[in-house]
Amino acid sequence: MAEEAKKRVMVVDDAALVRLYYRDTLEHAGFHVDEALNGLEALEKLLTAPVALLIVDINMPQMDGLTFVDAVRRREMPLASTPALITSTEGGAQDFAAARAAGANFYLVKPVTRERLLEVTAMLCGTAA
Amino acid sequence: MSELPAITEEELRRLCDFLYRRTGMVFTEAKRYYVERRVFERMAATGSGTFASYFARLRSDAEGEVEYFVNAFTVNETYFYREDHQLRCLTAELLADRLRLKGQEHAIRIWSVPCSTGEEPYSIAIWLLENWPMVDKYEIEIVGSDIDTGVLERARSGVFGKRALMRLSPYLVEKYFAPAGFETWKILDDLRNSVRFSRVNIVEPAETRPHGQFDVIFCRNVLIYFDDASRRVAAENLYENLAPGGYICLGHSESMSRITPLFEVRRFADAIVYQRTVGEPHG
Repeated sequence: MAEEAKKRVMVVDDAALVRLYYRDTLEHAGFHVDEALNGLEALEKLLTAPVALLIVDINMPQMDGLTFVDAVRRREMPLASTPALITSTEGGAQDFAAARAAGANFYLVKPVTRERLLEVTAMLCGTAA
Repeated sequence: MSELPAITEEELRRLCDFLYRRTGMVFTEAKRYYVERRVFERMAATGSGTFASYFARLRSDAEGEVEYFVNAFTVNETYFYREDHQLRCLTAELLADRLRLKGQEHAIRIWSVPCSTGEEPYSIAIWLLENWPMVDKYEIEIVGSDIDTGVLERARSGVFGKRALMRLSPYLVEKYFAPAGFETWKILDDLRNSVRFSRVNIVEPAETRPHGQFDVIFCRNVLIYFDDASRRVAAENLYENLAPGGYICLGHSESMSRITPLFEVRRFADAIVYQRTVGEPHG
């Protein structure tokens, strides 16, 4: 993947403030950030603009994060293999298991610091931190 | 310029009485110049030749004149990060305290009332993004309300001039605003969407109640326009809009203790705020 494409990520979260917080952090580090308010909108956007990483909240209207990740995994390649980072306020063993079952690659419990978000994003995108 | 019609003492009294009944704001003969300027403005705008014809129009609310009239009397002088010591107090003390009490609940509700053209509720959003490391953990609902529908429209548009931004660093302006013309900036859509605006008259329980209960209310520099009776009504309404243990911040020259014993005064490092006690109110 070209270095440029590696830096394109999508934040899927229904809270405008959270999108802004993540986007600001990531853009500051040179990432290009797409946004979606829920899983349905994210699926639609991915049809025209694939990304190197999905950063996905769980609780969202229309389509929640886990349903969304599961739906992505059922799409054709290479879309189906897009890495997904789940961010959630829940941090129980059953939450991690559910995310893994849906096809998530990584899980961060909110609040997520700017440093940690960048570290994990760079790791999953395969860019230098 | 043609000579302006004189308003008699009796007419002024009736007009101020009308305004008081509608808004709780008190104006007397001492403020004649201030009142007259606004009445003449509205008379010109409505083509009313005499005070009597204007007042008749106002009382019958012809073409929604009451709303225009009330809008003309509200004061909307504000700017971003005004009284930021209260914002510091919000993130340093108030939110942590609220979260301790709320336990597992993941929602925080903040009310800016009156919010004028939106500087205060948007300031709260920016402040939280910049200074509150828990900003992604909680579902934050910021509501801005005002009696003046004109300012609410402007608040929703999110467009601000240089004066409103004077206390923000260039760094914050660049980060959260996009240039929108000569010395005007528009706030980012995500910020605009993070604040909900609504109309409210804080002396009307039927209007305040539906807003529900908040964790923190910012109610700055409005009670100073009220007389004792309306102040008490407004304070009681706001009390009902606070969750038990919730906080209310007033303007620096205002004191709740003078108005009602409902709240407990709390002194924090950055600000003095008032709290709705967790249990039953005393007094």
